[in-house]
Amino acid sequence: MSAAPLLRGEGLTRAFHRRGGLFRRGAPVMALRGVDIAVHGGEAVGVVGESGCGKSTLGRILLRLMPPSAGRVIFEGEDLAALPAARLRALRRRMQMVFQDPYGSLDPRRSVGAQIADGILIHGLAGKAEAGERVTALLHQVGLDPDHARRLPHEFSGGQRQRLAVARALATRPDFIVADEPVSALDVSIQAQVVNLLADLRAELGLALLFISHDLHVVRHLCDRVVVMYLGRVMEEGRASEVFHAPLHPYTRALLAASPSLRRRGNPVAPLAGEVPSIANPPSGCVFRTRCGLAQPACAEAVPPLEPMPGAPGRRLACRRAAELG
Amino acid sequence: MLGFAARRLLVSIGLVWLVASLVFLVIHLIPGDPAELLLSQGGIAPDPAAVEELRERLGLNQPLWQQYATYLGGLLQGDFGYSLQDEHPIAEEIALRLPRTLELVGAAGLIAVLLGLPLGTVAALRAGGLLDRMLSAVAALALSVPVFVVGTLAVLVLAQQLKLVPAGGYVPLAQDPLRHLGLLLMPAGTIAVGLSAVVFRVTRSSVLEVLQREHVRAAQARGTPPAAIIRRHVVRNALTPVVTVIALHLGTLLGGTVLVEFVFNWPGLSGYLVRSVEARDYPEVLGIVVVISALFVLLNFVVDLLYAVIDPRVRHG
Amino acid sequence: MGHGGLRRLALPGGLLAGILLLALITPWLPLPDPVRQDIAGRLAAPAAAHWLGQDEYGRDVLSRILWGARVSLSVAFAASLLAAVAGTLLGILGGYFRGVVELLTVRVAEVVLCFPPLLLALLVVTLLGPGATTLILSLAILFAPGFARVAYAETLSARALDYVTAQQALGARSGRILIRTLLPNIAPPLIVQFSLTIAAALLLESGLSFLGLGVVPPSPSWGLMIRGARATMEQAPLLLLWPCLALSGVVLVLNLFCDRLRDVLDPRGRTQGRPGFLRRIAALPTPASPASAVPGLLAVEGLTVALPGPAGAPLVRDVGFTLAPGETLAIVGESGSGKTMTALAIMGLLPGELRVVSGRILLTDDDGRARDLLRLPEQALRRLRGNDLAMVFQDPSASLNPLLRVGVQVAESLHAHGATEDVQARVVALLREVGLPDPERAARAYPHELSGGQRQRVMIAAAVANQPRLLLADEPTTALDVTVQAQILALLAALKRAGGAMGMVFVTHNLAVVAEIADRLVVMYAGEVVEEGPVTEVFAAPRHPYTAALMASMPEGEAERLSAIPGAVPQPWAMPAGCRFAPRCDFAIEACRTAPPALVAPAPGRRTRCLRWKELA
Repeated sequence: MSAAPLLRGEGLTRAFHRRGGLFRRGAPVMALRGVDIAVHGGEAVGVVGESGCGKSTLGRILLRLMPPSAGRVIFEGEDLAALPAARLRALRRRMQMVFQDPYGSLDPRRSVGAQIADGILIHGLAGKAEAGERVTALLHQVGLDPDHARRLPHEFSGGQRQRLAVARALATRPDFIVADEPVSALDVSIQAQVVNLLADLRAELGLALLFISHDLHVVRHLCDRVVVMYLGRVMEEGRASEVFHAPLHPYTRALLAASPSLRRRGNPVAPLAGEVPSIANPPSGCVFRTRCGLAQPACAEAVPPLEPMPGAPGRRLACRRAAELG
Repeated sequence: MLGFAARRLLVSIGLVWLVASLVFLVIHLIPGDPAELLLSQGGIAPDPAAVEELRERLGLNQPLWQQYATYLGGLLQGDFGYSLQDEHPIAEEIALRLPRTLELVGAAGLIAVLLGLPLGTVAALRAGGLLDRMLSAVAALALSVPVFVVGTLAVLVLAQQLKLVPAGGYVPLAQDPLRHLGLLLMPAGTIAVGLSAVVFRVTRSSVLEVLQREHVRAAQARGTPPAAIIRRHVVRNALTPVVTVIALHLGTLLGGTVLVEFVFNWPGLSGYLVRSVEARDYPEVLGIVVVISALFVLLNFVVDLLYAVIDPRVRHG
Repeated sequence: MGHGGLRRLALPGGLLAGILLLALITPWLPLPDPVRQDIAGRLAAPAAAHWLGQDEYGRDVLSRILWGARVSLSVAFAASLLAAVAGTLLGILGGYFRGVVELLTVRVAEVVLCFPPLLLALLVVTLLGPGATTLILSLAILFAPGFARVAYAETLSARALDYVTAQQALGARSGRILIRTLLPNIAPPLIVQFSLTIAAALLLESGLSFLGLGVVPPSPSWGLMIRGARATMEQAPLLLLWPCLALSGVVLVLNLFCDRLRDVLDPRGRTQGRPGFLRRIAALPTPASPASAVPGLLAVEGLTVALPGPAGAPLVRDVGFTLAPGETLAIVGESGSGKTMTALAIMGLLPGELRVVSGRILLTDDDGRARDLLRLPEQALRRLRGNDLAMVFQDPSASLNPLLRVGVQVAESLHAHGATEDVQARVVALLREVGLPDPERAARAYPHELSGGQRQRVMIAAAVANQPRLLLADEPTTALDVTVQAQILALLAALKRAGGAMGMVFVTHNLAVVAEIADRLVVMYAGEVVEEGPVTEVFAAPRHPYTAALMASMPEGEAERLSAIPGAVPQPWAMPAGCRFAPRCDFAIEACRTAPPALVAPAPGRRTRCLRWKELA
C-alpha cells in the first residue's frame, strides 16, 4: 500500500445545474463534495451508499466520462484534465467500465463480437483477423460460447449480457475497471455468477477494480477496501472486513443493521428514521446528522473532516464523535 | 404559478421580437431591390427615376439599422406602414381581417375537439374492435385528402349539384347572424375534417399508452368504478400530447387557412397575404407575417399555461 | 422485425412501388403530349383516344395526371431528402455536442418552427418567385426543423444510454460514435419521419400550385389541374374528380405505408385489447360443482395462467397454497418464476393478453362462506377489490397518478366502497397511521413532492383504508433504499399486528426479507411451486435443491466464494420435459429429466417438488 496509487482522485466535486429556463440557471445540485480516493494497482475498492450518495458520479469522474467541477484525477502521476484529447483517448485503453443495466449497455443493433472487438480495433491492438481470435478467447474467458459472437444482444439473458460487458471491458487489457452496480439488476443466483467471475478475473489478471454497489454484503465478498458514502461525501473508509465487522460511523452501522439477513428472524425494526434528504438541499454541517442517533447541536455547525483513526491503519472516519465510537 | 406564467410571457415576448427581426432581415438582405422588383412588370426594366422615387418614399435609402429602428418603433405603436398598392394603412386591414380568420380557426378547432377527443377515447378503450377499426379507417382517409380537395369537392357536390348550401362568401355577424353562421359552416367544416382525424389519432394513441400505466391498475385495485378510472386516471393523463398537437395544428392553421379562404371566398387574413405575395407588396407581407407569428407564439404561451394546469409537475418544476 | 410486420407492409409497399414505377416510366408510355393543346377537343368526355377526357385547353387528362405525378413526386422527394439530410445533421450535432453547437443548430431550427409552414413557404416564394427549384428549397427549409427536432430528441436520449458512454470509455472518436453507434440507433424514427414528410410535401406542393404559387403552368401538376378544373366545374365535374382522386390516393397510400412502417420499426404501440376494468365476465366460466367451504382465509388451487393462443405457454402452472387469517405468506422467486402473475390473478388484475386456464381461488367471507374469485363477474370482484382484497405494488412512483393529489387517491378507496362522511378526516387519519409526518399537508401534496418511501406509505394507506382481510404486497420494497426498505417492512409488520386477522401475501425475490416478515413461504421456480413450509423450518432444512442453492448464493455468508447457480431460468416456451430445475441442479439424475416430479409432503405442513428430497436432508 505504500507504493504510489494507480489512480488518485483529489477533492473531487461535481455540481449539476438544473435547467432553470432561458434566463436563469437553477441552483447547483452538489452530487459530490470534496471526495478523496485512491486505488492501487491490483486492488479492489468498494464504494457503497444509497441512492443520491454520488457513487456513480464518482465512477464516471474517475474515468473522465464526466469532468469534475473541482478537484483532479491522477492516473499514474498524470492529471487527466491536463492531457491532450488524443493522449486521453489512448489512455482509455487502460481504464474501462462495466455498467449497471445489462440491457442498456450493449448496442442492440450490432453483433456482440463486433462490440467486443471495438476496443481492440480502436486502439490498434490487433488486426481484424487477430481481433476475431481475441474475441473468441475473451468469450471463453467470461464463460460464454465463442460461437455466439455473431449474435445480437437481445439473444442473451441478463446475466450473459453482463458477462459480455465484462468481456468488452477486458478486450483492451485494462489495468483498472470501474464496475457501476454491475449485479444490482440481476437475480440473486445470477448475481453470484457475475461476482465470482469478477473475483476470478481479478485474481487472474491483477486488475484494479472500483466496485460500486448499494449492497455492503456483495462488496465485502469482492473488495479489499470499502468507502461508504452519503449525500456526496465519504463517511467511512477502511479494510472491507474491518468495516463490515466493526463499523464505526453511525451511518455505516445503520446501513448494516438495515440490510435484511437470513439469520435474523422476527419483527423488522427500522434502524433509521426518515429518508435521505434532497441532494439539492443537504443539511448543514454533517450531512448525516438529521437521521443520526448520536447527533449533537455541534454536528450542524461544521462539516466533520475525514480523519485517519489512530491505531487502525487505512481506516478513516468523518464523525465528530469518532473518539467515542471505537 | 404566477411566476411561471410571467417567465413564459417574457420568453414569448423575446421570441416575437426575434421573429420580427428575422423576417425584417431576410427581406432586406435577400439579393434584389424591393422597389425594383415591385415596379418591374413582365421582365421589362423599370424607369430608374421611378425606382429611385419609390426607394426614397419607402426609406430604402437609409442605412439598414435606421430602417430597422423605424420599423421596430412602428411595430411598438401598432403601425405596420402603408400598402404599396393603394397606400392603405396595413394595420387597419389586418384589424379588419384577422378576427375573421380567428373565427374560422376557432370554429374548426372546436368541431375537431368535440369530435376527435371522445371518438379517440372510445376507439382506444375498444382497441382492435370493429368500432375502432372503422373509426381508424375513416380517420386515415380524412387525413389523406388535402384540405382544398375537401373544400372543392364540397362546393361541387353540396353547393353546385345538390344546391344545399351557398358556394361561399362572407356576411358580417352584425348584419345577418344566421347567414353568417351558415357561411362559416362550410369552410370551418372543411378544415375540421382533417383536424378531427388528427385529434382522433393522437387521443387514441395517448389513451392507449396511459391504459398501460401502473397507476391505472392501482386505481383498479382500489375498486374504483370504470367511469371514474377513465375520467380521472386515463383521459386526464392522456391530455398533454393531445393539447400539444391541437396547438401545433391551430398554429399552422393561422397561416394555413389560405387554401380554404381561397376556395370559399372567405375574406380573411390569408387571402390578404396571398394578394400581397402576388403583388410583392413587401410591407404588407412583413406586417402579416409578424402578426401571425406573434399569434403563433401567443398560442404556444397559452399551451404552456395549459400544461401547467394539467400537470402539477410542470407548475413546480 | 417479425415476418408478420413485413407482411403488413406488403400491401401499402406494393402500391407505393407501383405508383413510383408508373411515374418513372411515364416518358416511355404511349401517351399524348401533356402540354399540346387541342381547342376543338375542349372539355371532351372520356373516349378511346383520351381515356379520362380532355381539359379546358383540350389537353389529355390521363397524360397530364401521369406527368403531374412525376413533377409532384420528384419535388416532394427532393425536398424531403434535402430536409432529411440537413435536419438530421443539425439535430445529431446539436444533441451530441450540446452547448454552443446546440444553440446554433437546434435553437435556430426551432425559430423556423415559430412560423406557420404555409406562411413560410409563401414568404420564400415572395422572395424568390415561383418555380420548381424555389418550391423544393422552401419545402426543404420548412421540413428540415422537423427532422432536426426528431434527430435531436433521439440523440439526446440515446446519448445518455450506457452503450454510447461505453464507446466513449473505449476511447472511440466522436465521429466513430456518431456514425457507427448513434446513427443506426436513431434511424427508425427518422425513416418514419421521412415518409411522413414526403406526404406532407406532396400536400403543400399541390396546395401552393393550387394557389398558383407553386409549379408554373403549363407544366402539369395536380394542384394546378384542380385549380384549372374549378373554373369549369359546372360543365365538366369529372375533370375535377381525376386529379383529386390521384392526389388523395397517393397521399393515402403514403400515410398507410407510414403507419405500417412505424408499427414494424417501433412495436411499442401495438393494440392490447380491451382494458380489464371494462370487462364484464369472470375469468373462468361458472363451474359445475359449487365451491366447498375451506379452512383459512385464502386457498389457491391448481392455478394455471397462460400466454394467449390455443397452445399458449403457461407462465404459472398448477400453483396452489393456503393462507390462514392473520398469517403472512411469502412467495419467493426470481424473475420469470410467475410470482407476480399469481398475485395479480388473485386480484383479478392480470394483463389483458394473459388468461387464466384453470384453477380456483377461494376467499372466505366474514360468515365463513368461500367464493371463487376466478368465477366472480368483474362487477362483483370490483366490490371486493380495495375492500376485502387490497394490493400494494412494486414501484410507488409509477403506481400513483402524478396529476392527482395523494389525498384524493387515498380517498378513492373510501369513495369506491360507499364512504361519504368524514372522508377527508379519515384520509388524514390513514396517512398518520402509515407514519407520514404532517398528514394534513401530505394529503394535499402531489406524488412528485413526496420521497419514494413516503409514496409507498401513501399506497399502503390506500390499500388498508377499508381494513382488508387480505393484503397482497408485490415487491413493495424493491424500488427503495435499504434503510427505507427497513422502515416499510416495519410498517407492514406493525399494521399486521394492529389488524389482527388480516392475512398478507408478500411477493419478493429476496430471501432475507422473507426471514424478517413472513410466517410461511412458498418458493416458486419457472411458474411452479417447488417448495412450501414454515420459514424457520425451510431455512433450517430446505427440502428442494433450488431453495438450498438460492440460500447459498446470498452474499451474506462467511464463505470466501459465493456459490452460484449455473445457467438461467428457462423461457416459458422452452421448458424442460422433466423437472424444470434439473438443467441447473447439482443433484439431478436421469429420472429428473424424463418426467416432471409431483409435489410431495416430506413433513407435516411442508411440500417439495423434488424426487431426491430425502437425500438432501
